[in-house]
Order: sequence, then structure tokens, then C-alpha cells
Amino acid sequence: MLVGYDVAALGQGVPPMADYNIENLKFLVVDDDANMRHLVTTILSSLGVRNTATANSAEKGFGQLYDFDADIVICDLRMEPLDGLEFTKMIRNHDTSPNRYVPIIMLTGHSELSAVEQARDAGVHEFIAKPVSATRLYAKIKRIIEHPRAFIRTEDYFGPDRRRRQDPDYNGPERRKAK
Amino acid sequence: MADDKLEVINPPNTLKQKVGTGGAGAVDLEALERAEQVIAGMTDSYLDWVVEDLKKIDKAYANLEAATGDRKAEMEAVFHVSHDIKGQGGSFGYDLMTSIANELCRLIEKADKIGDEEVEAVKLHIASLKLVIGEDMKGQGGKAGEKMLAGLQQVCDKLLA
Repeated sequence: MLVGYDVAALGQGVPPMADYNIENLKFLVVDDDANMRHLVTTILSSLGVRNTATANSAEKGFGQLYDFDADIVICDLRMEPLDGLEFTKMIRNHDTSPNRYVPIIMLTGHSELSAVEQARDAGVHEFIAKPVSATRLYAKIKRIIEHPRAFIRTEDYFGPDRRRRQDPDYNGPERRKAK
Repeated sequence: MADDKLEVINPPNTLKQKVGTGGAGAVDLEALERAEQVIAGMTDSYLDWVVEDLKKIDKAYANLEAATGDRKAEMEAVFHVSHDIKGQGGSFGYDLMTSIANELCRLIEKADKIGDEEVEAVKLHIASLKLVIGEDMKGQGGKAGEKMLAGLQQVCDKLLA
């Protein structure tokens, strides 16, 4: 299991090992590029998902969450006028947010990896560096299913635990211990 | 520090209850392969989309070329279309579109001025994007594609030095 787990975590597109039926999961796809919305919803539909909502802006996506009880949100980092970071912060922190714990998968360009740390600090669960493929997207969905994250509230952060406590191979810095 | 007031919350995990394991409808290797095939079958749609994007970037470039002033808004419009092209190409087997658009985005993001040389470089990138689609250069476009991308990278590196 360990090999499949690690490789999937790196997003290298190696097929994950558990076979989940995800048809009952509800997805909200938020991207200001209509073609990307079409691509992502087509992939989800091909994976068996039956209930997907879309929005072409962060504001509309946030509004959708009031009526649509999404299990997972997929959004693009670069959107206008509000980007994916601001969208994530709205979901996590806005007073009226209807679903502040919803897992968020963020799509990024491969030259935007420097934004990953920022996105993690905004409260994103997983990232996919474009190009998007069915295998990569499913690997991230599977990871969210198998490794639910605790949420942390501090004075300056609310969102999923940024340490991967369930990851036996995590060898990054221990943020909590940092002084 | 802030961690002194740390609260850990374990939200209810409803996802595991909603997904089944195995059986019909489970995402196994065959299902993933089928899904990848569906995307591959969308290539015709992609070619329609990208033609629209190329028209948009042409229009954005025309505005950039005609602009007076700091040209920032016009350049931002070019960036926006280029970013869309970058995000899509690789998913449909047109990796070179992603690579060229990535170079164009890099140039626009990193350039500290928008002079005539930068505008000319934008034009060169757009012409290259059109060539990839016009000549149907899939993947990285073989030797010709490599040469084209290396040339564009050289132009960008020179301007960004």
C-alpha cells in the first residue's frame, strides 16, 4: 500500500489502489474558464459522479454552497475577480459560510507551485498541477476519502491540519514545535 | 505564538459513509482508462475551444499593440487568455500549447516593463501557438517543437535578464 499511497500523493498519475464507488459524492466545480469546467465535470461524470454543480466565479460558487451540499469543492487558483485563495478563505472563515469544513482541491498551473504554500495556508486540502487527468483527479479524491484531516483553529488560521499526521513518511518541519 | 491557543476540531467524516468499495461503479483501473479515453475523445472539442481562445488572444494583442499609457490592463488581458490555453493543452495531448503559453505567462508575470520588445515577444508567442494548432503539432511537437520552444525561451530569458 505504501508505494501506491506515496506516489498518488505526489500526483504522478499512478493509479490508486482502492476502488471506490464515488457516484453519491456531490462536487462543486468553480472555474472562470468554461472549458476547464467542462473538462473537470466530464472527468467526474466519467468516474461515475452523478451530482455536480458549477460556478464561473468565486462569488457564485460561495452562493451555490447555500443550496448545494457539496462533499468536495474543486476550484482554480487563478480566477477573476476573486481568486481561489480568496474563495477558500471565504469558505473557511466567512461568518455565514454554510460548509466551512468542505474539502477543497485546487487546480494550479505548473509554474504556480510557489502558490501552493499560500493555498495551504488559506485552507486547501489538495492540489492538482495542470494538466488535469482522470487518474490525477481520482488520486486526490481518494486521498481525501482515506485521510480525513482534523481542522485547526489558531489566532491566525482556520482550516485543515497542515501537517499530514496520517502520513507515516512525513518528514517536513514540525510547525507546532517551531518557536 | 498563535499555537498557544490551538483548537483541534474533528469534523464528521461523511465521505466514507457515502462511498462504496468495489463492485459495479467502483473506479478501478478499467474505469480510469475509460475516463481517460473520454478525455482523449474530447480532442475535437478542444480544437474548437482553442480556436476561440486564439481569436480572443488576437483581439487582446490588437488592443495591446494599439494601447498608449502603461499597457498594464491590455497585457493582463493577454495573460488571462494565455493562462487558459496553458491549463488546457496538456490534457488533450497538445503539450506544446501548454509549454508555449507557460512561457508567455512567465514573460508577462516577470517583466518589469512593457516596452516594444516585450510586445513583440508576445506577438511571437501568439504566432507560435497558432502554428502548433495550424500544423497539428501534438505532444511537444518533435524536433521542430523543441526548437520553437527553445527559441521562445531564449527570447524570454533575454528580456527578463
